[in-house]
Amino acid sequence: MKKNKTISLYWKCQFIGWSLASLYWSYLGFSGGRFNIFIGLLQFFSDVFVYVSITHLYRNFATKHQWQQLNLSQLLKRIIPAIFVMGLAYLMVTIVKSYVFRFWLLAGNVTSFSVFFALNWAAILMAGIRLMAIWLLAYHLYHYAQREINSAKENARLAIIAKDAQLNNLSAQLNPHLLFNSLNNIKALVIENPRSARRAIDLLSELLRTALYDGEVLLTTIKDEIALVKDYFELEKLRFEERLQFCIDADDCFDNELILCFSVQTLAENAIKHGVAKQKNGGLISVSIAVVHNFISISVQNPGEFNCITQTDGLGLNNLKERLQLQYKGKAKLNIINEGDGHVLSTLVMPRS
Amino acid sequence: MKKTRVIIIDDERTARDEVKRLLENYGDFEVIGEARNADEAKTLIELLQPDLLFLDIQMPEKSGFDLLESLDKVPLVIFITAFDQYAVKAFEVSAIDYLMKPVREERFAKAVEQIKIRATNVTAESQIFVKDQHQYHFISWSKVYLIESLDNYARLYFDDKKVFIKSSLNQLEKKLEKGVFFRINRAQIINLHFIDKISIAPEGRMNILLKTGAVFKVSERQSVKLKNMGRT
Repeated sequence: MKKNKTISLYWKCQFIGWSLASLYWSYLGFSGGRFNIFIGLLQFFSDVFVYVSITHLYRNFATKHQWQQLNLSQLLKRIIPAIFVMGLAYLMVTIVKSYVFRFWLLAGNVTSFSVFFALNWAAILMAGIRLMAIWLLAYHLYHYAQREINSAKENARLAIIAKDAQLNNLSAQLNPHLLFNSLNNIKALVIENPRSARRAIDLLSELLRTALYDGEVLLTTIKDEIALVKDYFELEKLRFEERLQFCIDADDCFDNELILCFSVQTLAENAIKHGVAKQKNGGLISVSIAVVHNFISISVQNPGEFNCITQTDGLGLNNLKERLQLQYKGKAKLNIINEGDGHVLSTLVMPRS
Repeated sequence: MKKTRVIIIDDERTARDEVKRLLENYGDFEVIGEARNADEAKTLIELLQPDLLFLDIQMPEKSGFDLLESLDKVPLVIFITAFDQYAVKAFEVSAIDYLMKPVREERFAKAVEQIKIRATNVTAESQIFVKDQHQYHFISWSKVYLIESLDNYARLYFDDKKVFIKSSLNQLEKKLEKGVFFRINRAQIINLHFIDKISIAPEGRMNILLKTGAVFKVSERQSVKLKNMGRT
């Protein structure tokens, strides 16, 4: 659809532009006297046809070599010689056409081609260079401006996504459901187990602090992310009690590798929300982090079933995907599969920073 | 005075303890059971026939809504959830009350007051919980005036609404109160309290005009039964 529109604009400009030029030449011929309507029309149509053709050939050449993708200085380096080449092409077709017309129509009164050429070439070449310069500049500047507008739009869109991701941070990383359930749990613990209640307040405070104040940090070390996930699991264990078991497996020689902040936490939260919380008897969540070549691989396994058709990604997962896209530009991959034995495996692979 | 018998249903022990603790201030409530999930709760409810449930919505495997739908006779219900009120509204349930975790004592007191009013004014009106498309309804059987059969489903008419439930007319007929609901033919059950007029057609069959203005034909066999019912 969009392509059709540009093509039609291009052809409109081609025909209107060259028609106007040809009309101007016709007017010059007319005001110069000795005007023949038949020759005038023939000149007009042949001019439009010939010049549309050669400029269209140029356009095909430029498109084929992707000149629209070049930056301004690269483009100028090609346009300036191209103007001269096109001027020469203009000279060739124009002089041959004019000579043929004279030869045909004014029979008997014809000078030789070499004399005709010698008389007219300089003026025609100058006119050609002028016309072609206008054509090429208009064509390329139009495309250059279009490209600039599109890239400005794209940049604005990315900036909005980045802002959104930031704004969603708190609610995505610490969902309100978790917050209120934890507070309710603490309220009960205050009476029956004050020690646990105090511990729960510490853990919840730490999680809140990270979510509130580290919201703008994109990367964190594996060590810090694991500490966060451990706090999170410990807090949830006070709520789910024996229903929640967890283990975290990571080689501490990779402690200082950088990963996306809240990435493991989001997967851990999903593992509880869609896994353990949905099983009457709960289950085990295993988190493992490994570095393989130039990639960091995070996998989280939980009991349950992932239904990729009905289960639309929640706020947390969507936010994670957006942040992965912003940070790693498509080089990170998130995969969630059913393992078939009542377990779900989420794998996140991201490049080492 | 008879105490209101309560069952608390929540998958988190501490959350159940919280409700028990809140109830301690009210002498006329008695906690007769606790359940950790919908299946446990169903067994317990059918066994103990409580007056009131404190019910969490999110539970493993089956939600609080699933539980209510599976019950033939639904007690009074107070939902307790960590969802915010807007999220709860999305479920479109006309429940007696929602309490948000953590529950404030003032808020709890209000909910309990409501229950006391309901429990004294309404004489144990039996109700069911039905999901109709996107909306959940608590429906008192006393409001249902007509039940129509639709294959394995039944359509319940009440107020100016109708809902489907997954139950055959035969199954329903067994559960319903005998003096109130009457099977008039193969496809329809009516609530006798809604009868406005009964007329007898020439061949001995009856026609029933309900207060809603609709007329229903009673089959020959059931006409005889209905006549006998009147005599006894």
